[in-house]
Amino acid sequence: MPARHEPVDVVVVGSGMGGAAFCARLSEQAKHLRIVCLERGGWIDTAAMPPWRRDWQRATIGAWASSPNLRLKAPTPSPSADYPIDDSGSPFKPLMWSGVGGSTINWAAHFPRLHPSDFRTRSLDGVGDDWPFAYADLEPYYDLNDDAMGVSGLAGDPAYPPKPPRAMPPLALGRLGMTAARGFDALGWHWWPVDAAINAVPHQGRAGCNYCGPCQQGCVNRAKASVDVTYWPRAIANGVELRPRCIVQQVVIEGGHATGVVYRDAEGREVTQPAAAVVVAGNGIGTARLLLASGLASPALGRNLMFHPAAYVRGMFKEELDGPVGPIGCALYSHEFYETDARRGFKRGVHLQVTRENIPLMQALRLEPAWGRDACQLLREEFRHSIAILVLAEDLPEAHNRVTLADRTEADGLPGVKIDYAVSDHSRRSLDFGLDRAEEVLRAAGAHRVVRLPLAPLTGWHLLSTARMGSDPATSVTDARGRCHAVPNLLVADGSLFPTVGAVNPGSTIGALALKIADDLAKDIA
Amino acid sequence: MTPEFLAAVIDTLLPGDDVLPSGTRAGLDPVVYASSHHAIFDVIAARAGGLERFIQADESARAAALTTVERALPEAFRALLVTVLSDYYEATAVLAALGWRTDPPQPAGHAMSEWNDAAGERLERIRRRVRMWRAV
Repeated sequence: MPARHEPVDVVVVGSGMGGAAFCARLSEQAKHLRIVCLERGGWIDTAAMPPWRRDWQRATIGAWASSPNLRLKAPTPSPSADYPIDDSGSPFKPLMWSGVGGSTINWAAHFPRLHPSDFRTRSLDGVGDDWPFAYADLEPYYDLNDDAMGVSGLAGDPAYPPKPPRAMPPLALGRLGMTAARGFDALGWHWWPVDAAINAVPHQGRAGCNYCGPCQQGCVNRAKASVDVTYWPRAIANGVELRPRCIVQQVVIEGGHATGVVYRDAEGREVTQPAAAVVVAGNGIGTARLLLASGLASPALGRNLMFHPAAYVRGMFKEELDGPVGPIGCALYSHEFYETDARRGFKRGVHLQVTRENIPLMQALRLEPAWGRDACQLLREEFRHSIAILVLAEDLPEAHNRVTLADRTEADGLPGVKIDYAVSDHSRRSLDFGLDRAEEVLRAAGAHRVVRLPLAPLTGWHLLSTARMGSDPATSVTDARGRCHAVPNLLVADGSLFPTVGAVNPGSTIGALALKIADDLAKDIA
Repeated sequence: MTPEFLAAVIDTLLPGDDVLPSGTRAGLDPVVYASSHHAIFDVIAARAGGLERFIQADESARAAALTTVERALPEAFRALLVTVLSDYYEATAVLAALGWRTDPPQPAGHAMSEWNDAAGERLERIRRRVRMWRAV
């Protein structure tokens, strides 16, 4: 007989961007509610983060790898509470973190918003689906989310509707950024310093970035915003109870109504937590896995998985650049080609993102050849002399790209999970277009040699759209307020909700959307 | 498995050049790889016709032998390579040869010039552009 907690008003599954923003906002808007959040992993200790150690580079392919599958194979245990994902059917490998703060622990904190057109792809371009609300409806929540996370950047970008002044100036571009900007300037193309959820200067009690480099190994001085240091202190101060190391096994659904969850606590005991409402925020794979395992009846559940297909071009320069310094994902971007132009042969657009240089070990491991005399020469040519431009394309919803359950039980007690994803011809055309443009920029900036990676497998951070919003229960899982069509007191509050995904990093939109879902629920309850 | 053979394999993977040291000159101890990767070393020795023959071969012949093994057993070969490269790129001699510091990223971080007016002035061209986003 499982232990049974006292009923609460809302139980939230997952403490990442979606779950944290949701809990903080709901606890402010409906102070009378008793809210519990269950997180499968634990709090992260900054003292244990690799950037303090001389062996920090190897952590990138070990216990602090971005891929849970790699972490599970690491010689030392990872602080992330991972589950294996069968990704054999996908060219992109899923990346995430399972612990308090979710993937904001090891994200790059590049923090762009979607464009207004991203919410209207069907109406404007005849592809994808319209969101059930517009950019203008989400805009106030983008602003709230920016305030909570702390954004370095620069207002005035003509690629976006006006945004409030950023809380901090842009992060330093360095020689790498200024060199790339030279290429965009030569071509007369748009570029702009990124919005980053990283402190350029001390802000909100957290330090300014000291450009140490490996953001994806956690931020030891907390300059990078992760929700364990932004939203969670607020939520906990408001009375939200966060229970780490609690792995939810099932959302209990009886007669079209969620009655709570069953979870395995840190001691391995099975515990029932009754609740008037259940909110799932476990990312596009974790949320789908749990809801499928719970028997939620919804034909769209798990389908339409989207990643943002990614590729990049690396340019080699004679001049010395910065090396592996500064926030890896946060230099500058171009939206010159973000909006649809029918002459390109595909709908929607691409995001070009100038990233910082990788650490020597990572550079060495992806060289072709990776050993021998030629490898030495290639490494020296590249190290401190290269710029990579990442091309992100907008993948469109396709039902065959999906999350399914495997016929086995994993160590965490849940069914195994598998993803299947294929790069469509449409995505391929948009990626190739973006690669051509990125190569033009690098050559215009002075690159003497460029190398293309037509698909970048280890870029699967953006796990989206497997429980999408919409009005038709045949093609969507939830309504516009995140409530499951089949079980209205079961909600989703993460990137799984996105009907379409634009071509930019989703963290900012996930946070804004979770705030809106919280407000909607608060109004429903009031 | 002799230390000389193990060293020859490591230095074929990482021969160094006029700037970078070879694997053994960087301080890698080849013997430490023997136990965890013995199977791949055994295959390398077999394909090369024996330990001594591999040791005595010139660099191109040793590289050819390793290429054959890499194609035949890509996962095991890659596992050895990842281990060796991980040690190599942490070695003080290698980081120094690359002109990079040997201390970890924290607590010192790195110095970078802050965002300044000069950078902002470069954006004036873009600020003056007409709205790029589509109104809906």
